[in-house]
Amino acid sequence: MIKTLSLRDFSLFLAIVGIWGFFTVLSPSFIESRNLSLLAIEVSTTAVAALGVLLVILCGHIDLAIGSGVGLFGGLAAVLTTWFGWPILAAFGVSLVAAILLWAGMGKFIVSQKIPAFIITLGGLLIFKGIFWLVIDVSTVPVVLGGETNLYSLLTDFYLSELGGYLLAFGASAALAVATLKGRASRKRHNFEVEDAGVAFYKFMMKVIGLFIVVVVLNMFRGVPMSVIILCGIAFGVYVLTQHTSFGRYLYAIGGNEEAAFVSGVPVNRTVITAFAIAGALVAITGFLQTAKTGYSTTAVGQLMELDAIAACVIGGVSLKGGRGTVMGVMFGSLIMASLINGLTLISADPAIKFIARGTVLVIAVWMDVRLNKKYTRAG
Amino acid sequence: MPVSVVLRAENITKTFPGVKALENVSFDLRQGEVHSLCGENGAGKSTLIKTLSGIWRTGTYDGAFYVDDVEAKFTGIADAEAAGVAVIYQELALVSDMTVAENVYLGHEPTKFGCIDWDKMYADASELLGRFGIDIDPVERVGNLGVGKQQLVEIVKALKKESHILILDEPTAALTEREVEILLEMVREICSRGIACIYISHKLDEVFAISDRITVLRDGKSIVTFDAKATDQNEVIRNMVGREIEDLFPFVPGEIGEEVLCVENLTVKDEDGREWVKSVSWQLRRGEILGLGGFMGAGRAELLMNVLGADGTRTGGTVSYKGRPFTPGTPQESIRAGLVMVPEDRKRYGLVLDQSNSFNFSLSSLGKVTRSCGMVDMNQEVRRNEEISRQLRVKAPTIETETGTLSGGNQQKVVLGKALLCKPDVIFLDEPTRGIDVGAKLEVYELINTLKANGTAVVLGSSEMRELMGLSDRIIILAEGRVGGTFERADFSQETLLAAAIGASASPSPFS
Repeated sequence: MIKTLSLRDFSLFLAIVGIWGFFTVLSPSFIESRNLSLLAIEVSTTAVAALGVLLVILCGHIDLAIGSGVGLFGGLAAVLTTWFGWPILAAFGVSLVAAILLWAGMGKFIVSQKIPAFIITLGGLLIFKGIFWLVIDVSTVPVVLGGETNLYSLLTDFYLSELGGYLLAFGASAALAVATLKGRASRKRHNFEVEDAGVAFYKFMMKVIGLFIVVVVLNMFRGVPMSVIILCGIAFGVYVLTQHTSFGRYLYAIGGNEEAAFVSGVPVNRTVITAFAIAGALVAITGFLQTAKTGYSTTAVGQLMELDAIAACVIGGVSLKGGRGTVMGVMFGSLIMASLINGLTLISADPAIKFIARGTVLVIAVWMDVRLNKKYTRAG
Repeated sequence: MPVSVVLRAENITKTFPGVKALENVSFDLRQGEVHSLCGENGAGKSTLIKTLSGIWRTGTYDGAFYVDDVEAKFTGIADAEAAGVAVIYQELALVSDMTVAENVYLGHEPTKFGCIDWDKMYADASELLGRFGIDIDPVERVGNLGVGKQQLVEIVKALKKESHILILDEPTAALTEREVEILLEMVREICSRGIACIYISHKLDEVFAISDRITVLRDGKSIVTFDAKATDQNEVIRNMVGREIEDLFPFVPGEIGEEVLCVENLTVKDEDGREWVKSVSWQLRRGEILGLGGFMGAGRAELLMNVLGADGTRTGGTVSYKGRPFTPGTPQESIRAGLVMVPEDRKRYGLVLDQSNSFNFSLSSLGKVTRSCGMVDMNQEVRRNEEISRQLRVKAPTIETETGTLSGGNQQKVVLGKALLCKPDVIFLDEPTRGIDVGAKLEVYELINTLKANGTAVVLGSSEMRELMGLSDRIIILAEGRVGGTFERADFSQETLLAAAIGASASPSPFS
């Protein structure tokens, strides 16, 4: 796939610089490695949820049940391990399967009964929230008992060693180099437009330098957190899924023109249900991460996360009508949303102000997007 | 009486990056005349209209044009409307759940004390419709009207703004022949009341039926302006394509093979229980082109879409394919079995316009380029798609060009390419040449003949009788959902086909 930096990628970058600058001025500790490490963990949860909802939005639907699901599946895993003494992997497994089944069920209901996803997932939001509160018995369920660590708590409390982080960065850079060179060669073979070698090298170096800066900063604190590695794995997976598989093509086709996709032989229903199932799995993983980060499951875990996830998508250029959006955009969008929440918490902003700021940024981002993407009327 | 020129364009040149869409185009429009613009897609008709109607604002093009001898410097559509220029596009812009009067006055509702003055709105609408002699009830919901009447509502809506220049861009593309006649009559009526009209259509029959003068555009240049009475279709076509066309419909006799598809007494209902197809039977053989004719609403598209598994419920009859009963639940099953369709409305059912040509080419046949691990083999995909793009002579910079930016003819080629990549045994082509220019039409005809020569069974659905007669081995005419007649090639004549299309029906007006 073609990857060129457009004005809008640039604008997202500028927005991040602006937000970071703003918070650094108000509270210099924002830019310290300790806080950035925390931010990295926060980005992981937002971005994993956002990548899930990306798949759903790409095919023209929406998922409002994310927040409740995050609470429910994180809570379910915590209850199974802490109260019932299950092995953690078994608890994760059960939660994950439950999430996939419930989300696939919602997808099935949406396509077979032709009810808008908005309504079904709004129902899901309320129902799953209720189930969540029943599961944790409206109490506080720690993911691990007093002061110990287990696999659950390590999700957000395990850091790669300094060397491990660098090795990871080297590995990723090498893979990126190979992919870039192969892509260029292939485009040249087909006589497609190829970026100037200098520009391509410059862009490649920017990415590699960015990667190393991240690792260096994270290493200055405690290393690359486990949740960031999980996020990178999932982001890569979703990228491959959307850009390199027929399932991904079908998502874009359904979001772009569902009727044409159907007549062209695209398995519309199956694709939408699968998108929901994968989104459900990612909701469960977000639930594990979010609950691990909080340290325990309470009724507030996951609250309003659907809105952060959807906002991250929209800020990242995903069209709510479907058919348009990329993993890269969603990652940037998530970083913006997470930075905002992190910064506002750091300067101990009033919760009211937090809501207002998040809403304002969302509106401004979409307004900018619309302005920058104004298309000319097509030649008929 | 001196003829007054209401619109005069002088040396208009409009350049897009890399393309000269218009080059020194000049023409004039006189009061009360119908002046047709003819040209292939991409000849510059749409660009010219967009310039005249203010979509391309002043300063974005060179040259000048004058409305009533005043130089027009439009900065937007509103300026053009204020100067009396109204454009009716092919795609209707009506709200189907509103009444005729509400649509006509949408955005300009008469008000009294800040509330909509409904009585006045309906009275005004009534008066307006009467003034142009149009028999439509202003309280009727627009969605209940036929497409032809909707088109008239659109025209009335434009003319109420006191326009005196009316531009009609392909107004008849979606109309039946009878609806077209009524529309043309209306346009003549409107022009006889002093309104000047620029008329754009691919259908030369219509152009000659209605025009006083005809200007031919080719490659962005105004080639020649004819007096309609002093020229004929051949001369206009010659100027449009820049070469002679001996035979527009090259029938090639071929070897007809065994039967592949057999439809018996098929009856199809839609979701609302309306019966579109009533006990229809036909057979299709390899290497044959079966023409499927009939007016809009005769059940042509519904029949084909149902056989494909895309639409409607079979309430009677059977379909067998290659000797086995055939009941696909989705088009996906049909395509796997080797039966594909190029649907009539390419923008709605054929293409994802925001995506690239390559994306659209691949949509039906991704399985053929997907590795066992589920990943699409992009090298193989690109190679294959470039090949088909070259074969079909799609005019686009690369296969990564967004399909929505192509002209109608090239978009249609992409839809055809998508179907061909499935390597079908049976292909349904429903109106494959609708809204595309003469050159592209010829290429499509050639392609259909190639398919036939390769032993593919082709169903050619069309409402153009001449097209059916020119290409088909056999023709079935549908009328009101029933078979109105089946004709072998020797028995083709426009009169009998037309009679079959009308005769079998109790012929309620398509306008009702």
